[in-house]
Amino acid sequence: MAEITPQDLFVTDFAVREHRSLWVDAWRRLISSNTARLGLFIVTVFVASATLAHFFWTYDAKTDLDYALKLKPPNLRPTEEISTIHPFGTDKLGRDIFRRTVHGGWNSLRVGLVAVTISLVIGVLLGLLAGFYESMEITQGERVLLQGLVGLSLGGIIAWIGAQWVIALLFGLLGVLSIVFGKFLAGKPVRIALFALGGLLIGGGIGLLGAPMVGLVCGLLGAVLGAILASPLTGTFFSNVVMRAMDIILAFPSYLLAIAIVAFLGPGLEKGMIAIGVVGIPIYARLARSAVLSVAQKEYILAAYSVGEGHDRIIFRHIFPNILSPIIIQATMGLAGAILSAAALGFLGLGAIPPTPEWGAMLGDSYKYLSSGAWWAVLFPGLAIMFSVLGFNLLGDGLRDALDPKLRV
Amino acid sequence: MTPLMDLKNLRVRFHTDEGMVKAVNGVSYAMEPGEILGVVGESGCGKSVHALSIMRLIQTPPGKIESGQVIFNDRDLLKLSESEMRHVRGREIAMIFQDPMTSLNPVYTVGFQIVEALKLHKGLDEKAARERAAELLTLVGIPGARQRLDDYPHQFSGGMRQRAMIAMALSCEPQLLIADEPTTALDVTIQAQIVDLVIRLQQELGMAVMWITHDLGVVAEMAYKINVMYAGYIIERGQVRDIYKKTRHPYTIGLLGSLPRIDEPPGTKLVSIPGLPPDLLALPTGCPFYARCTYRVERCLEENPSLEEADGVEHTVACWRWEHIAGRVSS
Repeated sequence: MAEITPQDLFVTDFAVREHRSLWVDAWRRLISSNTARLGLFIVTVFVASATLAHFFWTYDAKTDLDYALKLKPPNLRPTEEISTIHPFGTDKLGRDIFRRTVHGGWNSLRVGLVAVTISLVIGVLLGLLAGFYESMEITQGERVLLQGLVGLSLGGIIAWIGAQWVIALLFGLLGVLSIVFGKFLAGKPVRIALFALGGLLIGGGIGLLGAPMVGLVCGLLGAVLGAILASPLTGTFFSNVVMRAMDIILAFPSYLLAIAIVAFLGPGLEKGMIAIGVVGIPIYARLARSAVLSVAQKEYILAAYSVGEGHDRIIFRHIFPNILSPIIIQATMGLAGAILSAAALGFLGLGAIPPTPEWGAMLGDSYKYLSSGAWWAVLFPGLAIMFSVLGFNLLGDGLRDALDPKLRV
Repeated sequence: MTPLMDLKNLRVRFHTDEGMVKAVNGVSYAMEPGEILGVVGESGCGKSVHALSIMRLIQTPPGKIESGQVIFNDRDLLKLSESEMRHVRGREIAMIFQDPMTSLNPVYTVGFQIVEALKLHKGLDEKAARERAAELLTLVGIPGARQRLDDYPHQFSGGMRQRAMIAMALSCEPQLLIADEPTTALDVTIQAQIVDLVIRLQQELGMAVMWITHDLGVVAEMAYKINVMYAGYIIERGQVRDIYKKTRHPYTIGLLGSLPRIDEPPGTKLVSIPGLPPDLLALPTGCPFYARCTYRVERCLEENPSLEEADGVEHTVACWRWEHIAGRVSS
């Protein structure tokens, strides 16, 4: 191309400013707000104390037991009776509540992070795909991939009931087959009948390995799934299947569903994480989908198509970064929710298994002693829950103000 | 000379809840390499939709290209697979859009977005692509291009963003640039700069340009040929001179009449075309302009005229009464 110097042109815009990314701007707005700073402070204290305690202040919950120190009130100075310091007092087994509260923070943090990660990754992925394909033609390759995914995930439910994970794989295969062979099977009723039969055999046959009743339930569900998989996948259909599945999860009261999942999986901190994570999936899926629907209409997405970018790059490089703000905000708020849910499960004895230090379980252990005057045994774990939830909520609020696209120039 | 692009009977429909919107109804024309074509018409006449259909960027569903051919470089774009089409987009046909405020991705730097396009189509490495991106920004008249590569779109003014969009569109040296109302959202001085820029680039690079606008004044300056569109039809097509001097379609006459002219005495009222364009959900069987036309006769209600040769060079018009109008206008 020929050399053209700027002097040849009528250019009036010479303003050169420092390079600042949107995230730097958002960070500045965040720390300029008092409530957000408070939230950030609480969260930092919480995360730092929990992490430091976990790595540098060893605590063996299994051997921590001293009946002599049972339910002693807080003391900040060694006395004749108690030679050790217990700033938060001791519980019914004579354990130091301060120590357990700080270590409980690590468990709460873990639950929060893992649960939010589970719901975030699965939910956002589903929401992205559902939103994107809602008004988009699907290419053959994507069709095979997505239908396999639908089959795999729907089959997962039956696999779970039948306790045979191979069922999920077979349903995934059935989904792929429906696209590959969909064209050759003449007539819709024939196709639906064939795939329903396939689903019945896969679900029922393998389910029978467990018990006759399991085989029956799996077979029936499999037939329905087979019929669903028989229809050739269009974007709208995929989007509908995903979002209706989300609606079904949302239809259950969230605590009840979490309790049901834990009851099924058995108690334990890790099971609790999975339960809370699964319950949170639809929130992220819906959020991501609605954000995708608005971003996908933007001209820069059209511009990205017009320079020849493919669907995968459009979804993950162009749409995804633009829907991050609401997701970050929701994830921060979600951490607070997950910590609260974990505490609720712990309180009911469905979360952490004793003697693991966990705030909800500590409350559940100690509330019986409240009437005998042991206020410290419930106050401090309760405060810990309150402050950590408050911290994440304030931070989330601050992030919302900082990342709100409406404030952007 | 074989045409660069040959559009044959392109029909585009949108299937909505209210019914079928007939957005483009059998558009046919050819473009030569290096030609500047102006496409004019009012909002909703199908100019943008037909351009997006050429790129196969119509949202499906609800949109659908019902029939037709888009022969570009001797192959039908509508028959290519999606992945083959991706190689055409950007590399052979590029597009710039109406609103420069939203046509750059706000989360990436301007440089990154141009570099991406270069890496995608030209297979350049990061360093070479950056170098080329800076050259392109300089070419479209952005001073201090090398530093401005790391700017975010919100640090650019509207005119600069449109320049950056043009740089991005030109990055892979397309043979056809489709400009969909690129100056509508800009103020008049910037508009003139962008028009000059595109004309200069067109001459230097020898690419064809399709300039879509509702502003007849802008295309008069730059275009070689003009398509006037109405209700999804091309109703008049010809060289700029003929469109302005030998206007033969009542709608084009109305459009030209509604332009303010500098040689008119002050206080002269602008002529507006009465009525509204027809509902694309229910097009009349006759001429779509019938309801608003001052020259209408019985025949116009029953039969829709197709494009036929009128006086002038390669001048076609879709009106039963163009000869009558020719007599009236020149007298």
